Amino acid sequence: MATDDLAVEMIGMTKRFGPLVANDDVTFAVQKGQIHALVGENGAGKTTLMNVLFGMHMPDEGRIRINGQDAVITSPQAAIGLGLGMVHQHFKLVPSLTVAENVFLGMEIVRHGLINRQAQTDAVRALSLSSGLAVDPDRVVRDLSVGVQQRVEILKVLARGARIVILDEPTAVLTPQESRDLFRTLRGFTDQGMTVILISHHLDEVLEVSDTVTVLRDGEVIGTEPAKALTEARLAEMMVGRPVASGRKPREGTQGAPVLTLTRVHARDDRGLPALTDISLTVHAGEIVAIAGVDGNGQTELAEVVAGLRAPSYGDIRLNGTEIAGAPADIVRAAGLAHVPADRLMRGVDASASIASNILMGRQAAAPFARRGIIRWGLVREQAKVLIKRFDIRTRGPDAPVKSLSGGNMQKVVLAREFTQGKPFLLIDQPTRGVDIGATEGIHDEIMRRRTEGVAILLISVQLDECMALADRLLVMFQGRIVAELNPATATVNEVGLQMMGVSVDRRASA
Amino acid sequence: MTEATTTPPRRVPVWAEGLIGQMLALGVALLGGAIIILLVGESPLRVYAVLLRGAFGSAENIAGSLLQATPIIICGVAACVALRGGLFNIGVEGQLYVGGFAAAWVGFTLSLPAGVHGIVGLLAGMLAGALWIALPAIMRARFNANEVVSTILMNYVAVLLTSYLTIAVFKRTGGWSETEPVAPTAYLPQLMDGSRVNMGLLIGLALALGLYLFLRFTNAGYAVSAMGANPRFAAYGGIRVQRNVFVLLLASGAVGGLAGAVETLGVHRRFMEGFAPGFGFDGVIAALLANGNPLGVVVVSLFFGALRKGSLLMEVETGASREIITVIQALIILCVSAQILIRRNGGVSGEKRWKF
Repeated sequence: MATDDLAVEMIGMTKRFGPLVANDDVTFAVQKGQIHALVGENGAGKTTLMNVLFGMHMPDEGRIRINGQDAVITSPQAAIGLGLGMVHQHFKLVPSLTVAENVFLGMEIVRHGLINRQAQTDAVRALSLSSGLAVDPDRVVRDLSVGVQQRVEILKVLARGARIVILDEPTAVLTPQESRDLFRTLRGFTDQGMTVILISHHLDEVLEVSDTVTVLRDGEVIGTEPAKALTEARLAEMMVGRPVASGRKPREGTQGAPVLTLTRVHARDDRGLPALTDISLTVHAGEIVAIAGVDGNGQTELAEVVAGLRAPSYGDIRLNGTEIAGAPADIVRAAGLAHVPADRLMRGVDASASIASNILMGRQAAAPFARRGIIRWGLVREQAKVLIKRFDIRTRGPDAPVKSLSGGNMQKVVLAREFTQGKPFLLIDQPTRGVDIGATEGIHDEIMRRRTEGVAILLISVQLDECMALADRLLVMFQGRIVAELNPATATVNEVGLQMMGVSVDRRASA
Repeated sequence: MTEATTTPPRRVPVWAEGLIGQMLALGVALLGGAIIILLVGESPLRVYAVLLRGAFGSAENIAGSLLQATPIIICGVAACVALRGGLFNIGVEGQLYVGGFAAAWVGFTLSLPAGVHGIVGLLAGMLAGALWIALPAIMRARFNANEVVSTILMNYVAVLLTSYLTIAVFKRTGGWSETEPVAPTAYLPQLMDGSRVNMGLLIGLALALGLYLFLRFTNAGYAVSAMGANPRFAAYGGIRVQRNVFVLLLASGAVGGLAGAVETLGVHRRFMEGFAPGFGFDGVIAALLANGNPLGVVVVSLFFGALRKGSLLMEVETGASREIITVIQALIILCVSAQILIRRNGGVSGEKRWKF
């Protein structure tokens, strides 16, 4: 392949952080006009490689060529000067400013020393039309849906003259429909001769949208192949290093009596606005009920209401025969709740404390870990050791602080604590957020094992494939209501996706 | 959260690292103090030597240092109780005043058998301290009102109220702005002849050790620590944070009141207007410098006590005034907290606690 066809060439890149080698002699070439996917598990080195390309890290070894020219990229500004643009996983937008103000932040169009708002608005509108990214330049970013905010991020990059666009996990926050729109836009870019580098976890999307796929594992390139030549299973195997099961989990009918029943539950969010409206649902023993929905449609409040962390404004909640609506968390836990919270750093762990100390939470007041008010730390540490082994938590021991663990291993600490208490009801909120494929598989297997043991499970996830793989029944939440109940064995992704968007509500019209 | 977190290779254990850093910070502070001493025209070496002699030169001087350290230890433990639960009781000074006054009142009003009288006095001090923080505690637990502001404000009320009571209501006939002396039955036993070092020191040490063991080994202590480190995690795990906030602040106030009671029954044996120059604030600072570790509070308090005692002799023998000590103390606080912050941002140890 001729060198002048290449938009990006990274040759022999090595980047170390202390003893950790994040990229080990990585060679990565992207052809002009292609969508090139970069895939790999957490910690495989994808983000590091892209941060090096974008001038945020300096490589220890290796060289970079952009459009056939040697380039030394010492800062993001230099990268932008070379026609590179990066859309980060976590948006870097100012919520209180308008779309146009965000797009031109730091490079405002100025006339007579003042910002020329009209010119900025016009420029954004023109860019929006030419790129196919529909946004209203005068809307305040705070009021936009996540999908539209992402379009603003991409517009920012385009406004800075990017011809090579890097997107870090762009679909993590989108509905299937929004993802498809995004891909159509990206395809439009390459039709105009631009180049797209896509970092992603979602293998189906990678195969659907990209021309070429490069797989990283443990900082090394495992292979670069045309997407057409790959299957999902093959790709997963390349990433993890062993075959990975996927799709719907096999199961037998072991459904029992109702364990959790919500009857006409209403609740308000922190600002006092209605967050849950008339929620009624039942979870039986040995059953997984999944709540699908775009983030921010009341799932957080639903989990809190069930877990005793938020009092409902109306309605009954029965857990294992006990009325728990409005009861504090210790009462709900005593009634039979185990809870894997969505935000592990904020709620699931005390990051500064040891693994053993985190394992103890919720059980500190009763036998066997406490006797007459005294904690038996020896026993707690033993239990922590057992769980570290059983859940394959990568750590130097039970005394290591939780913050020394990677995100996936932190999640395993939470799971280890909540899954081993023998409780009849499990509330699982986003079990695999930020967790890589290998670990996700293990977590899903653990959830299925609890189901087989007869535990009633309420699973809340924004990842539709996860809901489809695990659930016996699938409920879709939209704007605080349950808008549909579907059979995950027969429902299509498209069907569920439409329900997640409220069917008749067209988000593009509101944008 | 895409890349693995790395831990830097560690050559010295965490506690040693902390200690070395602390010593370094202390050195820098003393160096800064030396410059100030030079500016007032004294020899730093001489001043520091006198300071040391004043604090540790003889058994009497050591006893004097311990005497000064006693209220700081108890106030430090008071602040620690709140701090470990993620709360700030900056009102220890005020609790010390009302506790001291209540104990004195019990001492000069009631007549009880020896021993019992002292204990009732101490309990009265604790009760007064707890009542004094009750309002900020309710406001915090119920309405989430910032306890830093409310406890600080209560300080002024406490100082002025006890002044008023001393001057206008209970003033001893003739003489100074002080109450009647406390009955001898309420005195705290002294530990040695020729010094006013008393039971209060042992009470303070026992409290510090007790708090340390409580936090480390009991489930209630675990709940407090979890709450201080991450209140949302604690609530999630079934700990009743709101109730604990109230109880903790009350306990902290009670210990603050006890400090005052120990001072009046053990040292002054009456209540004097302005009897406790800054012990409460020194205690809060000791708790912060020790990062909420009760045993660390004892060490810092002993150091502060020695500085206070040493400064008395320094003022007599050298041209440096007692205020120099305040300056040096401030420098130490600056250096040590800077060092703690640097360490916290860099390392894996340390806890996110005292963030204003």
